[in-house]
Amino acid sequence: MSRPRRGLWRATALYAGGAVLALWGAFPFLWMLSTSVKQSSEVFASPPTLVPRHLTLGNFARLLTETNFATYFGNSLTVSFATVVLTLGVSAVGAYGLTRFRFPGRETVAGLILLTYMFAPIMIIIPFYILVKRLGLVNTHLALVLSYTTFCLPFCLWLLRAFFQSVPLELEEAALVDGAHRGRAVWHVVLPLALPGIIAAGIFTFILAWNDFLFALVLISSDELKTLPVGVNDLFNATIVDWGMIMAAGVMITLPTVGFFAGVQRYLIRGWGSGGLKG
Amino acid sequence: MRKSALVGWTLLAPSLLLLGGLVAYPILYNFWLSLFAKHAFLPAQTFVGLGNYRYFATDEEFWRSVRYGTIYAGSTIVFQLGLGVAAALLLNETFRGHGLLRGVVLFPYTIPTVVAVILWKWLLNDSYGLVDYVLVATGATRTPPAWLGKDYIMWSLIVTSVWQFFPFVVVTYLARLQTIPPELYEAATVDGAGAWRRFRHVTLPQTGAVLFVIVLLRGIWMFTKFDTVWLMAGEGGVSQYVRTLPVYAYERTFTYLQAGMGAALAVLMFGLLAGATAVYFGLFRDEEIVS
Repeated sequence: MSRPRRGLWRATALYAGGAVLALWGAFPFLWMLSTSVKQSSEVFASPPTLVPRHLTLGNFARLLTETNFATYFGNSLTVSFATVVLTLGVSAVGAYGLTRFRFPGRETVAGLILLTYMFAPIMIIIPFYILVKRLGLVNTHLALVLSYTTFCLPFCLWLLRAFFQSVPLELEEAALVDGAHRGRAVWHVVLPLALPGIIAAGIFTFILAWNDFLFALVLISSDELKTLPVGVNDLFNATIVDWGMIMAAGVMITLPTVGFFAGVQRYLIRGWGSGGLKG
Repeated sequence: MRKSALVGWTLLAPSLLLLGGLVAYPILYNFWLSLFAKHAFLPAQTFVGLGNYRYFATDEEFWRSVRYGTIYAGSTIVFQLGLGVAAALLLNETFRGHGLLRGVVLFPYTIPTVVAVILWKWLLNDSYGLVDYVLVATGATRTPPAWLGKDYIMWSLIVTSVWQFFPFVVVTYLARLQTIPPELYEAATVDGAGAWRRFRHVTLPQTGAVLFVIVLLRGIWMFTKFDTVWLMAGEGGVSQYVRTLPVYAYERTFTYLQAGMGAALAVLMFGLLAGATAVYFGLFRDEEIVS
């Protein structure tokens, strides 16, 4: 086979493979988007239409006015952002302690922390529930924030530790010599340099909190406190399924995460290399 | 020196407090709890020793859940791996739009499970689903099966899970592929190796270690997967055809309210995973080190 023809074969194979992959990865989402802006008669039309003949935002309007979706959305935002703030605070402080101070047992502690990452929530959800109940925190957002923070901590501690280790000690010492006290040195020298790691840790935490189903299912019982995954599943199971409206809900839950990913993909790939999302 | 240790421990204290109180303590408490007959909501409990474990030794439901869990974890791993590695090899090539495609491939992994499940239930719907429409329109079949009925629910669950989780394999494998020195491929090409032999003799040995880790992690995560399975089949109806061990443990606790029984199932889940991991290491560890 001559060289140009081999190049042509290769290109054809690549683009065909790429097209199949794009279809498999993205088509279900496009179908959801398409269904969410269709009128109910067109949702059930045969043959189905990919590009809606009549665009409508009626499904979104129904979702926001006739259901508690807006409440669930607000709850999810509150819980997720609180989790991100708490997790970043606790893990940045802890990771700094693990990198910059020598003490006996440091490596053992770091190893034990990683070990806790191996336990899937389902394996401890029963004692966890009993504990939360004893603390009087059942049916509170605080219980969710504490659960998500705990489950994000091992990953975030290890990720931030790796980033802190990559900040040269001399830079920090130089700041200290210049008369800055330690807090200022960390704030102005270490944190900016570790920013990609902090962003990656923040995104991982946000997505875990935003997507979690199990803790929200077990720990929250009143409707007005529910977060999106459980709330939407309730909507889905409540009556005869209003597919247009449910797909609108799916689009709205997905948008924040897609936005985050599109914005900071390059930080994420780096974070992924050092541990990755769990799921 | 001593001051340094004190500051170090102080900075770590919040993390250790949370992990100790909300992970380590529940793990230990779970072992203790598995020795009791305890109602999920009421405080009363009776010590039964290994009674819960004896019960499950002869419980058909338990063994069925282990079998379903193994089928589910095993087949989703095989498909995720095949699809994920193929996609990573493709994305490792340079062609127009491959950056965008990488983002698109990542997408299913980032959406909440509840969305992935509802989306696939809509695609597989037996009256208005797109999949059935395509099958009938292309003449593949005139009476498509009920994908969400008892005969096919496991397959639908597997497809949904593979779609949702294969991006993990893609990204992890791709990260390793990009660190393989190009000289190795050049040398193989000079030696006259075709695409398949380059894959077999350069790529596979280079990526053995990462494949070992991917299968280990995905195996643990698929065997303990709760939300996808539970959301796909719900509690009644067809759920009995996909009731894996995590779902069974959940139902024992929060539906039958037998917290002690549920805790025992969690311990059994842990034991099975630990055993499988030990066997896995015994089988593959040496090869991993060689490569």
